[in-house]
Amino acid sequence: MVILKYKDSQSNKALERKRMSEASVIQSRIDTTSDDYQQNLAEMQALWDEVQQEMGKVPTIGGQRYVDRHRSRGKMLVRERVEALIDPNTALLELSPLAGWGTQDPIGVGTFNGIGVIEGVECGIAGSDMTVRGGAGNPTTWNKQKRFFQIVRENRLPLILLNESAGADLPRQADIFVYGGEQFRDITQLSKMGIPSICVAFGPNTAGGAYIPGMSDYTVFVKERGTAYLGGPPLVKMAINEDVDEETLGGAEMHSRTSGLSDYLAMDEMDGLRIARQIVRHLEWKKLGPGPTAPPDDPLYDPAELLGCAMANVRIPFDIKEIHARILDGSRFEEFKPLYGEKLVCGWGSICGFPIGILGNNGILFSEEASKGAQFIQLCNKLNIPLLFMHNITGFMVGSKAEQGGIIRNGAKLVNAVSNSTVPHLNLMVGASYGAGNYGMAGKSYNPRFVFTWPNHRIAVMGPEPLAGVMDIIARNAAAGRGQEVDEKALEERRTALEAQIEYESLALFSTGRLWDDGIIHPADTRTVLGLALSAIHSNEIKGATEYGVWRH
Amino acid sequence: MNDINRLLIANRGEIAVRIAQTAHKLGIETVGIYSTADQNALHVDTVDVAIYLPGNALSETYLNSEKIIDIAQQNDCDAIHPGYGFLAENSQFAQNVLEAELIWIGPTPEQIALLGDKMLAKKAAIDAGVPTVTSTEVHPGEKPPKFTMPVIVKAAAGGGGRGMRIVEKQGELEDAITSASREAESAFGDGRVFVEPYITHGRHIEVQIIGDAHGNVLHLGERECSIQRRNQKIFEEAPSCGISPKIRKLICDGAVALAKHVQYENAGTVEFLVNDKEEINFLEVNTRLQVEHPVTESITGLDLVELQIRVASGEQLPSSQEEIHFHGHAIEVRLVAENPAQNWMPSIGTIEQFHVGDGVRVDSGIREGSQVTTDYDSLIAKIIAYGSDRQQAIKKLARSLRSTHISGIETNLSMILSVLAEQDYQLANTPISYLQDHPEVLEKEKLIPEDHNALLLGAVFALELQERSNGMVTGFTPSGWRNLRTQGQRQIWESPYGEDHVEYTIGKNNIEVLLGPWPEPQEDGTLSEDNRTKLTVRLLSQSTEQQIVEIDNRRQVIKTVINEETVHTQSRFGTATWSRKPKFTHRESEQFGAGPTSPLPGTVIAVNVSEGQTVEEGDVLVVVEAMKMEHKIIATGTATVTSIHFQPGESVDTGDLLVSLEQGEGS
Repeated sequence: MVILKYKDSQSNKALERKRMSEASVIQSRIDTTSDDYQQNLAEMQALWDEVQQEMGKVPTIGGQRYVDRHRSRGKMLVRERVEALIDPNTALLELSPLAGWGTQDPIGVGTFNGIGVIEGVECGIAGSDMTVRGGAGNPTTWNKQKRFFQIVRENRLPLILLNESAGADLPRQADIFVYGGEQFRDITQLSKMGIPSICVAFGPNTAGGAYIPGMSDYTVFVKERGTAYLGGPPLVKMAINEDVDEETLGGAEMHSRTSGLSDYLAMDEMDGLRIARQIVRHLEWKKLGPGPTAPPDDPLYDPAELLGCAMANVRIPFDIKEIHARILDGSRFEEFKPLYGEKLVCGWGSICGFPIGILGNNGILFSEEASKGAQFIQLCNKLNIPLLFMHNITGFMVGSKAEQGGIIRNGAKLVNAVSNSTVPHLNLMVGASYGAGNYGMAGKSYNPRFVFTWPNHRIAVMGPEPLAGVMDIIARNAAAGRGQEVDEKALEERRTALEAQIEYESLALFSTGRLWDDGIIHPADTRTVLGLALSAIHSNEIKGATEYGVWRH
Repeated sequence: MNDINRLLIANRGEIAVRIAQTAHKLGIETVGIYSTADQNALHVDTVDVAIYLPGNALSETYLNSEKIIDIAQQNDCDAIHPGYGFLAENSQFAQNVLEAELIWIGPTPEQIALLGDKMLAKKAAIDAGVPTVTSTEVHPGEKPPKFTMPVIVKAAAGGGGRGMRIVEKQGELEDAITSASREAESAFGDGRVFVEPYITHGRHIEVQIIGDAHGNVLHLGERECSIQRRNQKIFEEAPSCGISPKIRKLICDGAVALAKHVQYENAGTVEFLVNDKEEINFLEVNTRLQVEHPVTESITGLDLVELQIRVASGEQLPSSQEEIHFHGHAIEVRLVAENPAQNWMPSIGTIEQFHVGDGVRVDSGIREGSQVTTDYDSLIAKIIAYGSDRQQAIKKLARSLRSTHISGIETNLSMILSVLAEQDYQLANTPISYLQDHPEVLEKEKLIPEDHNALLLGAVFALELQERSNGMVTGFTPSGWRNLRTQGQRQIWESPYGEDHVEYTIGKNNIEVLLGPWPEPQEDGTLSEDNRTKLTVRLLSQSTEQQIVEIDNRRQVIKTVINEETVHTQSRFGTATWSRKPKFTHRESEQFGAGPTSPLPGTVIAVNVSEGQTVEEGDVLVVVEAMKMEHKIIATGTATVTSIHFQPGESVDTGDLLVSLEQGEGS
């Protein structure tokens, strides 16, 4: 089946060839056989192994007993449903699989979020995992869902909800209830924007949760499984003294034949997925972005080498262009203003045929880097090209020379640019992302469409040692100010403890647990993941900004 | 000498193609004929010009003797070649052709009439000194004379097994004669029957003869056609390994003697039944070219159609038998559109794929896209292999057939391969009872797992490539990429060998494949043990035409052709057509759960079912009268009626549940 995916597709083979012959290709300078490289590679591998191990726990994190019980009821696990739903041989990108890491809640927080291809259309797929605490939502579940709805909205992806849940985890209601109403508002606002929602009810949709199907554009209820009611039989008995069974109160048949909540009655789970696919098919969904317009040839260097390109120890610098060489099409990179502000590498390339403007750190940010970055961002906005920010930044330059040179004023230009830029932003964390550097590089709070991190990534207001060091100095000054003697041992203990705390709080795993990113990826998968992200982005229009805030000149 | 410049071929299919090819080789132009069903057939393309015969019945088309002669005359033809079947042994037609001053490629009308009558032919054979057992004419209604049992009753005008009865006991003879005669009367209009001794464990051996108008007659050796089904030959070979040189000489000389006795002209075949006790029975003479003539051509190096044409033009044959040399061994198999495993049920359809492995001669009248119907015979192709000896011919034939692929219809290809591999066949122990003695050859042969899996994976990856390149929106990613993998790609594939469950994960350097049904949840929810076969596969090459798979270090090239949802695969060891089972099946929801509801307000006027009854799709359950019309409420699938909610005479409202149904048949 051929679907017209892109609204205005421009591909001109002759133009492509010309582009290819004139583009500059990055020369890699790494010696992958050297001891240093091999050593770093081993350390990165260890970091990844830890992430991989955590990810491996997710599908059965609810406990084997509950997984078995779920299956004994003839039900499919959430990821089994997703695998059956999506088109064969297509890629599936699961987002935030380790949400909740480092909190009291089980990793994954009982939901699946991902982008998969259904009937040739990239869709946002959300599925409840009933084996995790009976599908009861905790605050992180709600946060993860909120983030996912944002992705679906900003990138314009049809939303598929494979739903079943016991509702909110009631004892945690203070952190869930008041803002929890947003999810229902989100679904119908998506609908208003023209983004359809298809809800397949595989199990209970209780209380407020009943409004998930309620607000969805299309609802499918699985016979004898899907239910929805504002109050269950026990509550109904208590409230109005009515004796009623589940099916009559809110069963799939009842909703399909009598109440009108259910648009389609599915015979079983597979039938429900079939109907969802059928609905996606009739959407005749068209992507609004221009699509891939550049030659999508593979990089000249093996992407597997990426694992060793960034440093496991984020304090050791590395040449960011080694990463460019292994993710860009044909390793082609047209660098912008290479001789000015060299510590921020800016330039154009393409990934899997999607044109992209890239800003990458090769050191800290000075005034020149900030100005250059702002200019580059404006240029990309004029060209309607998405931006990729590759973070390996510890911050802006400090000291009197920098301050007198206007580092804050110039940094403000960069922040103005990233704040008001309207082309889609992608974040790839290949090292540290500390302090204002994170903001200047359009970090999470600047609403990037997608954020992906490498296992060596660290994120905090500053590194653990400097932070502990600063606190130590403050403590000493305070003591000196009070005329007290310092307790070296206590200070040392405090310094160590603080370092450990910040270290822990800055880990890639911690970050992903807090939903500060959309997932930790294996460096060798970077090109695939960014390609999938860009493809999803191109589901929506790409339109650069025409106005910015006032520039502090 | 009568020069033939243009020849009308009064036939169709493979023989028409065959005759045209030789005619063109001799520089002779060809005119063909075709019915509506054959308007785009291969033979119509092969001849130089073809003339349409409108009509549905054979009498209007290929048996339309008057029209055919008209066409020959109107198109400046000098001669007519009748092929085999149709009008080839119709002496009246031959006569009409000659009277129209056209050359008839065949014997004289008198010879056709004489030798076409089994009893007259037998008499002539005996007169000519042909070795044979005697036959006795018998008359229905009269008490038959005493014979040594067993005997066989045959019709004088008969053929194809009709009017034939084998009798074991003298007491059953009279009835057999009566019924055989009745059958012959109705089939051929001639109820004459005769009795001969029944030769057991006989072999069908026939001798190819050819005579010219100058009195020369030569034989071109014998053929053995023992393996037959309902008197339809399937395997033919030359020479026969089942007769001694003494018998060979007897029957070949005998055939020539008979031919000379009647001054036979053109090609013909004298058929015998010979058994291991060296009993010979002369059966009949076929006064035409036979289907299996290619095996004779292979071992003599002669073109029989060419000889026919040249003899008909008046040329002389070599006068000496010594000028005919025999080399090697040839075997022909007939590929027919019938399914031996299903009682030889004829198969009809459109030929999708037709490819024969190399190393053999193929005589065929069909090609890809040809329609196979029941209008004409079921012969798809003749495949002939030649070797220096019988063993080599068998090996070459089997090898070629293993990578032969034909789809769109069922054929006996698998049965042919089974026979070629069977021990008795290889030892040339092939009396005419061969197929009854070896029912196992009818079973579909299974491939060894390695070959089966290679074809299966060829199909899997052929379709994978097609889906990925068909504008897949994320086609730039590795196939089936996951960042959190819980399973591989699971698919179920169907083929003539049954159902195969495949799960594959495409990695960077190789592909992990698991074969066998995947673990299902048991009653307590735990998964059943994973007993699947694990294969390590490398896909060395993937393209639209072939996949090169290396499975556990064993490399095979699989040719693949995708036709909509099916994949045809072909390797050196076998072929198969696969289709991927759809993941989802469409289900009618109305049928299940509750049941049909009344479409509008009315009155139930009939209830056609009762509680507990099983209904099928299309069954009328209830009739509701509304708006002066009767509305039939019909079952949309197999279901069991669990309860009936309304009785005749009761009113119903829109949406009222009329009958409760449960999916499936009642217990």
